[in-house]
Amino acid sequence: MPQFSLYEEEYHPSPLKRTWIEFRNSHIAVVGLVVLAGLLLFSLFAPFLAPYDPLAQNIDGLLIPPSWTVNGSISHLFGTDALGRDVFSRIIYGCRVTLGSSILLVLLAMLIGVTIGTVAGVMQGVRSSVINHLLDALMAIPTLLIAIIIVAIVGTGLVNSMWAITLALIPQFIHHTRSFVRAEMKKEYILASRLDGATNRQLFFNSILPNMIEMLVVQGTLALSIAVIDISALGFLNLGAQPPLPELGAILADGLDVAYLAPWNVALPGLTIFVMVLAINIVGDGLRSALRKRLVR
Amino acid sequence: MQPGIVRRWVVMLTTALCVVACSERPQDPFYESGIIYCSESNPVNFNPQLDTSGTTADATSHQVYGRLLDFAADSGRIVPSLASSWKVSADGLTYTFQLRKGVSFHTTDYFTPSRPFNADDVLFSINRWRLPTHPYHGVSGGRYPYFESLGLAENIAAVNRVNGYRIEIILNRRDSSFLANLATDFSIILSAEYAQHLQNMGTPERIDHYPIGTGPYKFNSYRKDHFIRYQRHDEHWQNQPSAARLIYDITPKSSLRLAKLITGECDAIAFPAQTELDIIRERENLLLAEKPGLNIGFWAFNTQRPPFDNPDVRRALAFAIDKNTLLEAVYFGSASRAKTLLPAASWAYQGDADDTAYNPVLARKLLDDAGIEPGFTMTIWAMPVERAYNPNAAKMAELIQRYLADVGIRATIVSYDWTTFRRHLREGLHDSVLIGWSADNGDPDNFYRPLLSCGAIPSGTNRAMWCNEDYDELLNEALQTEDIVRRKAIYQQVNRLLYERLPLVPLAHAYRYRAYRDELDGMLINPYGGVRFGGVTKAL
Amino acid sequence: MINVLTRYLTLFVLTLLVLAALSFSLAYLFPGDVLTNLTGLTPQNDMQREALARQYKLDQPYVVQFYHYLGQLLSGNWGHSFISGLPLREEIGIAMPATIELATYAMLIALIVGVPVGYYAGMRSYTPIDHTINSVSLFSYSFPVFWLALLFILVFSLELGIAPLSGRVSLLFDIPDATGFILLDILLAEDIDKGLALSDALHHMALPTLAIAIITTAAMIRMTRRSVIDVLGRPYITAARSRGLSRWQIFSRHIVRNALLPILPLMAIQITTLITNAMIVETLFSWPGIGNWLIQAIYQRDYPALRVGMLAVSTLVITLTILVDLFNRLIDPSREKYERATV
Repeated sequence: MPQFSLYEEEYHPSPLKRTWIEFRNSHIAVVGLVVLAGLLLFSLFAPFLAPYDPLAQNIDGLLIPPSWTVNGSISHLFGTDALGRDVFSRIIYGCRVTLGSSILLVLLAMLIGVTIGTVAGVMQGVRSSVINHLLDALMAIPTLLIAIIIVAIVGTGLVNSMWAITLALIPQFIHHTRSFVRAEMKKEYILASRLDGATNRQLFFNSILPNMIEMLVVQGTLALSIAVIDISALGFLNLGAQPPLPELGAILADGLDVAYLAPWNVALPGLTIFVMVLAINIVGDGLRSALRKRLVR
Repeated sequence: MQPGIVRRWVVMLTTALCVVACSERPQDPFYESGIIYCSESNPVNFNPQLDTSGTTADATSHQVYGRLLDFAADSGRIVPSLASSWKVSADGLTYTFQLRKGVSFHTTDYFTPSRPFNADDVLFSINRWRLPTHPYHGVSGGRYPYFESLGLAENIAAVNRVNGYRIEIILNRRDSSFLANLATDFSIILSAEYAQHLQNMGTPERIDHYPIGTGPYKFNSYRKDHFIRYQRHDEHWQNQPSAARLIYDITPKSSLRLAKLITGECDAIAFPAQTELDIIRERENLLLAEKPGLNIGFWAFNTQRPPFDNPDVRRALAFAIDKNTLLEAVYFGSASRAKTLLPAASWAYQGDADDTAYNPVLARKLLDDAGIEPGFTMTIWAMPVERAYNPNAAKMAELIQRYLADVGIRATIVSYDWTTFRRHLREGLHDSVLIGWSADNGDPDNFYRPLLSCGAIPSGTNRAMWCNEDYDELLNEALQTEDIVRRKAIYQQVNRLLYERLPLVPLAHAYRYRAYRDELDGMLINPYGGVRFGGVTKAL
Repeated sequence: MINVLTRYLTLFVLTLLVLAALSFSLAYLFPGDVLTNLTGLTPQNDMQREALARQYKLDQPYVVQFYHYLGQLLSGNWGHSFISGLPLREEIGIAMPATIELATYAMLIALIVGVPVGYYAGMRSYTPIDHTINSVSLFSYSFPVFWLALLFILVFSLELGIAPLSGRVSLLFDIPDATGFILLDILLAEDIDKGLALSDALHHMALPTLAIAIITTAAMIRMTRRSVIDVLGRPYITAARSRGLSRWQIFSRHIVRNALLPILPLMAIQITTLITNAMIVETLFSWPGIGNWLIQAIYQRDYPALRVGMLAVSTLVITLTILVDLFNRLIDPSREKYERATV
């Protein structure tokens, strides 16, 4: 602890706090967290940060190169696209759409997954085993396939692609919750609570859930990086967000038509997705190693 | 782990990968043996008689088939092809064609011809679309849109075989565009012997999917969305040096076509996008062939709806817009300004025709005179698809919207999906529409008649819903004479009439582009109709 | 042993049944006519329609219909594509091997590069070289595959011109589809310069394979490294060390095998990612595989094709996943089934 302690009082940080201390020791992880926080800020305050309306077209300013090139103009930091829209504003809004929808869908998947997983963890017998087996096998179906089918049934759109990815992410939350609940149910403190007369509900909310939060955060960051990649991949394939909605993958796909003429239309949105995923992965990685170190010490 | 093992292993692996991947692209003479053309879409079938789409024509008419007559690539004049000469009777009703001898049909693994081309093949090819009773008429749908739209079948009284190498065609009415029609991409010659053979086999529909013709290339195989393979027809009558193989690589995305052209995966590409033209011009090993397109993009008013039934209102709207700005913003300079319906590539083009000029003050005055108050609202329908004659109708509509706002008219832009759009247009639900027309040959009748004649209202090509008896009469009169000067004079009268009545505002004639690598030798741009690969070779 | 096999077989059949049921229900769920979705044929008149409906037992309860549908699937009658009109089995038969081929080469590269590098990093854990490898792999692992592929195209194809960007082999080579695997087909083909064709095919293959392989390799490195570090912390390693075994001995006798075991089930998960990435990359490189085919099908709303394509792809993925799981269980019965670690 940095703060000076006068008395030799023994200090016992809570487990969460200890994880945070471990996490903070890794510089890379902190940088990742800062970048991620920045992107989150972009998402939250997009209307205040974006210099232009992301949908406003400008016929007089088509394909202006980014400001750091010779022909660039400072009025458009990242240049403009084939319809004269400001790329910087579109990317800021793109962060909002892509990251925002990913976070939403991960939370939803987590909620559903944890619910089913807990039930499955408590439930025993042949029925549970069959369901688990099937679930595990079906978990192998690629998101892209689920998305294609959903698009075929109800049509394209950001929300539909979110459903597809949510569906694909749920099994892994179920899986982890189930194993976790199983393992936890065998522990003695649960038995003690049981002997005190706690109901299953109470057991879950008072004993298991608090212990599960770390696992959920780690799984959540993993799922978030998958969700961002999948949302933008579907947007890119024109199966998710539809233009003119500024979703990073869809922006990238838009830029594809002028890729040779205006490579920044492809490079910058892609770079943003990459940085976003990288930041999430770094934070997730940092979290996991922090957890691991905490457990070892 | 033993030190060094990993390093040695990494070096080995990289070397192995590099041997296959890092080496220079192969420059084997083998790559000179064939031409790859990146086309924009799948052909509907392999018989252009059945379809008016340029894609089908590009893939078949000049590759697989021959025609009685051809357009010369340089001058656009009608020249002999499978007919070595022809004669027109004094009354202009009887056409006699002397056919070329020793023209062989393709020998493929699905058909071996026993005789060369003769009069029977011409009779079969024409009668198939002409006679509803013909055994092959109903095969593959029984619609022959090009010939139907011109009413050719009704105008032909008889097609007679004079002898094995001479035929005559007798018309009901004079038609000075008749020879031009025989030279278009659609008037191809099929093999009567092959048709007979297929009928005996009980599979007549194969004639349109496994084609046999007299063209410089013979069909080899086709996989939808992937490729069409052709092989050189070694016994082609013109005996030009052609590449041994011709492959159509079907690539719908124009940016991908350009990329493949740059990497050399295509030797020639169809229709590069307007925005990509500069890239092609900048690269030394790429050549851009532009031809003035036989097309027109226009802004048509629904003349059956008040107040657009008033010519003064239409003129006012025409004066309110600046055509040059539209040309610049929508076509990026790849189109010429349209004064009349006809592009400069047509022989009847009138360079000094009257044209409306940008004059918002005059426009407002005309509107006031016609009793149109400021704040009047109207709709502009913008077609939802990209066409050469209008690559971005929505953008153009927005620009026009701005111009109209300057003269106090509030315009709303309307668009549906393409099918619904065309259906509603036919029903006349629009105030005005941005659309256009691509013609099939340079004959002026191919523009004037389908676009504005009374008869074209029900068939849905007259977007202005405009019917004028004087106009129709002039058009018919023009077809009664073979005299070019006389016809030109009539079409100038037509132009004047159109300028006065202004059922539509002609906007632009877009250029059509093809780009190819300089390794190709002998590429000629055909001003009328499809791409030609006969006589094209490749040298790396 | 028999017991395990039976369980896996039951699981496999059960999963396939669920998938087939899903695929069957899609015919009803998709917009448009059920009969058309099921057959890919559009009946021209009422008589044809009735005959077809009777043939597909549409007049009978869903269970009977489904039973009949299963029979049709097994007999190879998968219906026809709406758009091309070709039998779907033929189309999938051409497209599927192309994807498998692409994914296999990428997986091979990932195994050949990823596993040794992962071992190396694990053995040198928490040294600068390990940190470098770890960072690079985290970096590569974060690439959206479609962007990576685009960068490859922009750099290697358009700027440097060293690799073509579309297809499997130059169309000038007329190579008949014998197996669907291009390298094999070239070897089987006649009348062509095989050396030239092979070199051409390898050039075509380089970029798409690399784009997928980079991401999978990164995952492999991370999994292997993690696994090795876990093993290094085990008591038996300490014991071996105290007995005086050299690093190399410890590595070859104890670590290689023990670290490999937990990786195997992870590879099952990687299969899904791999196939997904392959499907996306195919669309960029115009690779004539199942991903490209399915995405074309969805663009054109070719419902019969989607119905069968979905079944085919998920069957492939699930078969592979279950096989890897089974293999893992057979060589290491002590593990709890489906134990998964994290990437």
